[in-house]
Amino acid sequence: MKYLRKYPFLGPLVAVVVVYAIFAIVAPGSFTRAENLTTMAGQTVVVGIAASGMTLVILLGGIDLSVGSNVALSTVVCALCMRAGAPAILAAAAAMASGLVAGLVNGALVTTLRITPFIVTLGTMRALRGLAKGLADEQKIDAPSSGIDALVAPLPPGYGWALFPPGVWIMLATSGLVAAMLVYTRGGRHIVAIGSNEATARLCGVRVERMKWLVYGLAGLFAGLAGVMEFSTLTVGDPTDSIGLELEVIAAVVIGGGSLAGGEGSVAGALFGALLMTVIRTGSTYLGIDNWVQDIVTGGIVVTAVALDRARRASEARR
Amino acid sequence: MFGRTLRFALTLVAALLLLSCNRSKDGGTTKIAVIPKGTTHEFWKAVHAGAVKASRELHVEIVWKGPLAEDDLKGQIDVVQSFVAQGVSGIVLAPLNDKALEKPVDGAVKANIPVVIFDSDLAGSAHKSFVATDNLAAGRLAGEKLAALLGQKGKIAVLRYQEGSASTQKREEGFLEAVRKMPDIQVVSDNQYGGATTESAFEKAESLLAAQNAGSGGVDGVFCPNESTTFGMLLALRKAGLAGKIKFVGFDASEKLVGALRDGHVDALVVQDPFKIGYEAVRTMVEVIAGKPVQPRIDTGAVVVDKASLDKPETKAIVAPDLAPWLGK
Amino acid sequence: MSGLVARGVAKAYGATVALAGVDLEVHAGEVHALLGENGAGKSTLVKILAGAVRPDGGSLTLDGAPYAPKDPAAARAAGVRLVSQERALCPHMTVEENVLLGGEPTRMGVLRREEARAIAARALHAIDPSGAKKHRLRPDALVRDLGPGEQQLVEIARAITEPRCRLLLLDEPTSSLGADDVEALFKVITRLCEAGLAVVYISHHLDEIRRIGSRFTVIRDGRTAGTGRVAEATPADIVTMMAGRSIEDLYPRSPRVPGDVVLEARDLAGAGLPVRASFELRRGEVLGIAGLVGSGRTELLRAIFGLDRVRRGEVRVGAYVGPASPAARLAQGVGLLSEDRGGEGLALGLTIADNVTLSRLSGLGPRGFVAPSRMRTAAARFIEKLGIVCAGPDAPVSSLSGGNQQKVALARLLYHDVDVLLLDEPTRGVDVGARAAIYALIDRLACESNKAVLVVSSAAEELVGIADRVAVMHKGELGPARPVGELDVRAVMLEQAGAS
Repeated sequence: MKYLRKYPFLGPLVAVVVVYAIFAIVAPGSFTRAENLTTMAGQTVVVGIAASGMTLVILLGGIDLSVGSNVALSTVVCALCMRAGAPAILAAAAAMASGLVAGLVNGALVTTLRITPFIVTLGTMRALRGLAKGLADEQKIDAPSSGIDALVAPLPPGYGWALFPPGVWIMLATSGLVAAMLVYTRGGRHIVAIGSNEATARLCGVRVERMKWLVYGLAGLFAGLAGVMEFSTLTVGDPTDSIGLELEVIAAVVIGGGSLAGGEGSVAGALFGALLMTVIRTGSTYLGIDNWVQDIVTGGIVVTAVALDRARRASEARR
Repeated sequence: MFGRTLRFALTLVAALLLLSCNRSKDGGTTKIAVIPKGTTHEFWKAVHAGAVKASRELHVEIVWKGPLAEDDLKGQIDVVQSFVAQGVSGIVLAPLNDKALEKPVDGAVKANIPVVIFDSDLAGSAHKSFVATDNLAAGRLAGEKLAALLGQKGKIAVLRYQEGSASTQKREEGFLEAVRKMPDIQVVSDNQYGGATTESAFEKAESLLAAQNAGSGGVDGVFCPNESTTFGMLLALRKAGLAGKIKFVGFDASEKLVGALRDGHVDALVVQDPFKIGYEAVRTMVEVIAGKPVQPRIDTGAVVVDKASLDKPETKAIVAPDLAPWLGK
Repeated sequence: MSGLVARGVAKAYGATVALAGVDLEVHAGEVHALLGENGAGKSTLVKILAGAVRPDGGSLTLDGAPYAPKDPAAARAAGVRLVSQERALCPHMTVEENVLLGGEPTRMGVLRREEARAIAARALHAIDPSGAKKHRLRPDALVRDLGPGEQQLVEIARAITEPRCRLLLLDEPTSSLGADDVEALFKVITRLCEAGLAVVYISHHLDEIRRIGSRFTVIRDGRTAGTGRVAEATPADIVTMMAGRSIEDLYPRSPRVPGDVVLEARDLAGAGLPVRASFELRRGEVLGIAGLVGSGRTELLRAIFGLDRVRRGEVRVGAYVGPASPAARLAQGVGLLSEDRGGEGLALGLTIADNVTLSRLSGLGPRGFVAPSRMRTAAARFIEKLGIVCAGPDAPVSSLSGGNQQKVALARLLYHDVDVLLLDEPTRGVDVGARAAIYALIDRLACESNKAVLVVSSAAEELVGIADRVAVMHKGELGPARPVGELDVRAVMLEQAGAS
């Protein structure tokens, strides 16, 4: 109990281990194969990276519904650049830049128009999707994907020492950076302060508007990076990709201990939340569980995770 | 309170366990993963039944698993990767995109898992065989039928399905090729996409009909290349009071569409044999696993069904195969 | 001269004059009490001092130098810190993080953890040198786990982390504290003054000011109405200055004739608090329940009203026995006035008419419809009856002063025409004038309308003044109700502290 409170990500970690153990027992022996672990890690990359940004937004007391559309837009931008013959690194940079700009637009609308983030990002969710479709001429864009496609692909022979594909390491590095920012920098503390009590933060001289810009911008940047990873998987730019991804990302953050009221959330927890959903998905595939059962189970786990967290807090408050 | 919630969580886990135990049957046999584009369309249910029939006759185990969200490209890639990591004996796949699935299929082949493609084609040459209707030919059939219905002249609109779906693009192509040969037939619209769901197809169909003034003779005939667009178009025609007035050739045969054919709201349906597709795909895979040579292209055929031919027994076997023995529902 | 001097400070918001020329002198090392009814201009003056509002006229000097802060950051830099009435803390963060918020020591944006820890430790030591609260006020404790008193101390700690802090503005610092916490707070304030800090202390409680204040200034209608040494003025003098008239009898008391028992609790216990409570309440009488904050008084009312679960025991309302939902209680003629006016009692964004009629909309139109005109008529009647100062029934409640908001909340109970009124802290955050009006209303309800009134209050003096009988709650146990004739304020205070 005491540890849970100090390290909120322990809850989702335990959940991941338990669910993994269940599948390891029930599923055919191949579930515990190393290939499967790497595959699951690779499939978590997109949600995991986007969840780092979403954790910041939710800590701040906001929400970003435009993540899915932003990811799709990034795959389109990436594909367009690659098709135009740009080197992989430049295409990736362009995709991340488009994500960053979209995020900054969210931040600008939230701070200057003073509309609630839910509505702002509900709007940009549609608008970015439209922009992606327009840029892609309403089609999937075939583009050479050499260079980028290695990010989440299984490691080529001879590179086994790296354990995971580069995308997984990028995800871990992003999460690590964000987590360190929250603990070790002034800006990180101010984000939590704003989410916890915005009026107080303003009173204490925190530049609330600037922090909001920064956080929505960062969330957009991470969505752009997630889009690069998505492109690496798809190898085409797909404007209709990642519909509903935002809900999966939000679910990951919430399973990881995030509170939509702000002030609470854990980057590591969100990562485990994302992993938990991948494990359930993969396990269901292994067992041939029908999709509708899988939907119900995933939904049940989101609600249960939050209910458990609340109950734990209530029991702590009573002591 | 905490205890109660914990108990609830444990119950959930136990339920999951039970469900799982239910599913994990015999191990050790040949296990073939069959991955459709989606799981809710009627078409895929017939494919599923055919696959089950083949699995029973040939004594192999199949795992039927589509992407979680219908037509979710990333979801399908994830499913393929999971089966590769699991190390199944073979993968039978209906790719949602002809290029994006190429790499996962390469990955499977590198892991010594043979792949048979069905329904829609895939770029590259890693897969052993492609089992599907010859969609170009099927599209041509549809075009010739609609032209015949219109007496070789009139205005025609096409509601396309979705970008990047090779099978429907071929049908559209075949259809347009056939009707464009007729000098008196004019294609008034061929750039509208119905999208993945019946609902989106219905909305597009409505605006398409309105934009072309279908109510006042702007359109004489329509064509749709798959079940969801055909049904969406049917709903839109009915809503506009045009059902039966505009000649309508659709694709695929669900119960609802066959009913509409009887009512005269649809004039003809080009019907693939999904049951046969499913059956042939699994059968081909079993042969691949057994090391036998297989044809790189297997055509499962298509027929035009209209009101007159509907009740012939050979049509019935294709249009409304009895799925119950295979799917148990 | 060291300290703050304000001369002729003026501020107008459009046509409304908030301050018409206020003079204030606060010396270093003293606690200067700032008094005035709600709406007199105290908060505007405090906001000007804290840099949140810029004055239209007048001059300010701090330690002899001109002082004209352009924003709160500038005021902080000059050494002036405000601890406002609303808790300004981040509940999810630790004590240390809260204390340092906005002033974290950094190098290129990265926190200097050692230095941060040292600053926080210094501030915590300054407010708690004896270490009496050390086990609670740990730097890594989460603020949401702290009690209200400790939270208040964290805010003061934050105010004094600024090494140049010279003037501390405390706006009603005791409004949500129990007696123990008030004592602790007074010790801290005294110690800070001894170290040379000047403190402006705003409060409605004259007894607090007599204990801690050295000099006072009264503001009325935006002007300084009087100033002097606390020791040389009687409470009556001060109240007269505040009201502009003398309030001879704050606690009116008409002859009351108790009737039948309408509300009875027997061995009542809630999920946590109360532990055990039994009492009877009759028509035409006022029963007071005293006790410290956290002793279970509010929980008792909530359990009776059906807002909290009843674990054991029995509630009888007239002929009805057993627990009931709030809706059922209202139907039985029981009404609750919440202690949390802004959070629970009133819908601040809605109009007076909306708030007054909220619990009983059925009579305002045919079959499920509500006629706004009838709502306004109904509300207008109570605006007049209770003397609510407002622009009309359509004015939003948020535009009213605390006292008038409380009258709106009371008007809802009267409009609903309940027979049993459960009033939780009816005069919290209410100025002297409105307080007298509320006391008079309670008296009228008991004596003329023959209602049964249960009043919960932290102010023993108030209960002894208005109630017929008073029972004291201590750690969840409700003592016997005794006639006020047998009690005095001192006895009640001793009993609620558990010393009897």
